[in-house]
Amino acid sequence: MSEPRAKSSTCAHFRYSLPCDIAEVPSARRAVRRFLSEQGLDEEELSACELALAEACNNAIQNVREEGISHPVEITVLCTNSKVEMCINDRTPGFDWPDEVTLPDLQSERGRGLFFIQSFMDTASYFRGKDENSLVMRKMRCHQEHRQAAAAASADTIQQRLEETQHALSDMARELCFRTESLSAIFRCSTQLGRTNNLPEFAQQLLTDLLHITSADWFVLRVVEGLQLVQFAASPDFQGGEPLSLTDVGHNAPSVELEGALARHDVAFGPNRPLATNDPLGRKDPYGTGLVRPFLAAGNLVGTLTVGKSNSNQAFNAAQAKVIHTFADFLGIQIVNGRLREEQLTGRLLAHELDIASNIQRSLLPKSLPQLRNFGVAGYCESAKQVGGDFYDVLQLSDNSLLLVVADVMGKGVPAALFAAILHSLIRALPEWTQHPSELLARINWHMYEELSSVDMFVTAQMALINSKKNQMTVASAGHCPILLAQGGSPHVKSIAPEGMPLGILPTTRFVEETIDLRPPCRILLHTDGLTETGDCDSIGAQKRLKCWLKESLLRDRTAEQLRDELAGELRKAQLSAPLQDDQTFLIVAEQQTDDVPEPCAPKSQFIDSIENQKSKIQDS
Amino acid sequence: MKLVDKGDTLTVTDVKELGASNSDAFRDEVKAALPNGFKTVEIDLSETNFIDSCGLGALIAIQKFATGHNGLVAVRLLNPLPAVQQLFELTRLHRIFEIVRR
Repeated sequence: MSEPRAKSSTCAHFRYSLPCDIAEVPSARRAVRRFLSEQGLDEEELSACELALAEACNNAIQNVREEGISHPVEITVLCTNSKVEMCINDRTPGFDWPDEVTLPDLQSERGRGLFFIQSFMDTASYFRGKDENSLVMRKMRCHQEHRQAAAAASADTIQQRLEETQHALSDMARELCFRTESLSAIFRCSTQLGRTNNLPEFAQQLLTDLLHITSADWFVLRVVEGLQLVQFAASPDFQGGEPLSLTDVGHNAPSVELEGALARHDVAFGPNRPLATNDPLGRKDPYGTGLVRPFLAAGNLVGTLTVGKSNSNQAFNAAQAKVIHTFADFLGIQIVNGRLREEQLTGRLLAHELDIASNIQRSLLPKSLPQLRNFGVAGYCESAKQVGGDFYDVLQLSDNSLLLVVADVMGKGVPAALFAAILHSLIRALPEWTQHPSELLARINWHMYEELSSVDMFVTAQMALINSKKNQMTVASAGHCPILLAQGGSPHVKSIAPEGMPLGILPTTRFVEETIDLRPPCRILLHTDGLTETGDCDSIGAQKRLKCWLKESLLRDRTAEQLRDELAGELRKAQLSAPLQDDQTFLIVAEQQTDDVPEPCAPKSQFIDSIENQKSKIQDS
Repeated sequence: MKLVDKGDTLTVTDVKELGASNSDAFRDEVKAALPNGFKTVEIDLSETNFIDSCGLGALIAIQKFATGHNGLVAVRLLNPLPAVQQLFELTRLHRIFEIVRR
């Protein structure tokens, strides 16, 4: 008849089928009482429930409809820590639960059942159905008394539960404590990072905090650089570890760090999985217990964090492992951000460097060019995006002689600009040789060789000494592209490229000198290879075009400035189809045929004085 | 349940429970014994652990019968346990019963 279904600490239920016979009620009462007693109800609660149940059963049986007699009265009891719920089904005609249950007359022998139910239960609801009705009664349990009763009933179970609860609570408190500590450590170190921007130092401090938080003894932080895991920060005893190769795995000594990095998941080591004796970590702490945590950014391995204990063989618990994860992931983000910042900084530095180089280059170019009575000179220099070492210079050596220089320092940026500046100064520092371009180049090469070769740079240059009195041009070249000369009476544009090595290749070298007679009208073009590497056609085509232009220019009566503007226009046209690859620099000389040219526009410079002084000194000696 | 004849007094003892299942029988038995010249009926409730509304109804019926039928028979309830006493008080029935502790 009785069917106890389940019994648990939180919810127990019990069913009883009561035959429709009033004599059976006491058995049902006792069975329910026994069940509730097992659930730890105290005597008062038991009496109350027993009485309410009895009244409900009495009603169900005494008022049963005829067709209901053959059906049992179903009793269901539900007991939780906080309440008891009893449900009794009846097959009576049912009744309307009164709004207010009142006591009958003192002399009445009946009518106190509902009053008892109402008095001893906390709630009671009566549900009327077609064939069956349900009375549901609830009684809230008194907790303190319940616990005392329960403790008496099963002290051991309760003690065990209490310990479990306390354990869970202390775990939660510890976890909370970890979280707070790790957060405050991160915040503290982040503030530090903001001030110093020193990532390795930041990592060192943060991970030292981590050791305190997780009761660990040492850490090693490695970061991927190229195909290696390189130490980024480590405890004092673990510093200076060799990089681990991520590719040459087969030949590597076994390493838990490498294992974690390649597998991309945590690797724990300790008594169950000791460090190999030839593992870099095993050499430092052969009996260490700890955890390798690889950390990723956007799916790419950034590094590994290994935290270990020397004095304990107890593995990190879940909370500690979580803190290690948090720190490793946080550091990963910081390292990636740090690298991005570095790249930005490098970019800014590079841009700044290019500014400096560009300023140097511009400052080297003469602001106005000296002119001869019958030779006009004009110069042009256009920088490509990345500033190179192109420059030109024109020195007036006497009233009727000019030294024209065009040079190209191979290399970019500040170093190239600096060598251009050195070249610029050397030309002026060796005035005794300016009358002999080949000798001048040889001396300059001798002076610059050591510096240039030490940084694997070299300079190409060409020099043309124009003597308007003799109508001659003396040319020397240091590996530079040829000077172009177009003059009257000659069908071809002459390329003049006397033999000579670029400056900085050999310590001592000879330069061939070539002297050409100039016949008016003539055009002389000194240039860098930027003019023939325009990108819109090959260099031979560009050279041909340049020569054609120079030849045709003879037919037009133009000053050097006009010719410079025309050629610059041509070059810009060629650039429309392709951006400038290299600096473009040229000097153009136009011989003026008429004698009514005004006096040279540049006054006799101090440079001429110094040359004359030097000359007299040489003659004196 | 036992009925003990003590001359003027009928004593009812050994009542473990007084509920719907036995209250009718209890009432009828006591009522049947009363016409034998007793002046007092003492119902010992010291061993009664359980009473429900039907049990109370039976006691009321006996009381009514005793006072109404023969007119002179007094009904006493002896030493009810606290839980049962609580029910008498809750239903105010302690006002119509003579509850005796001895």
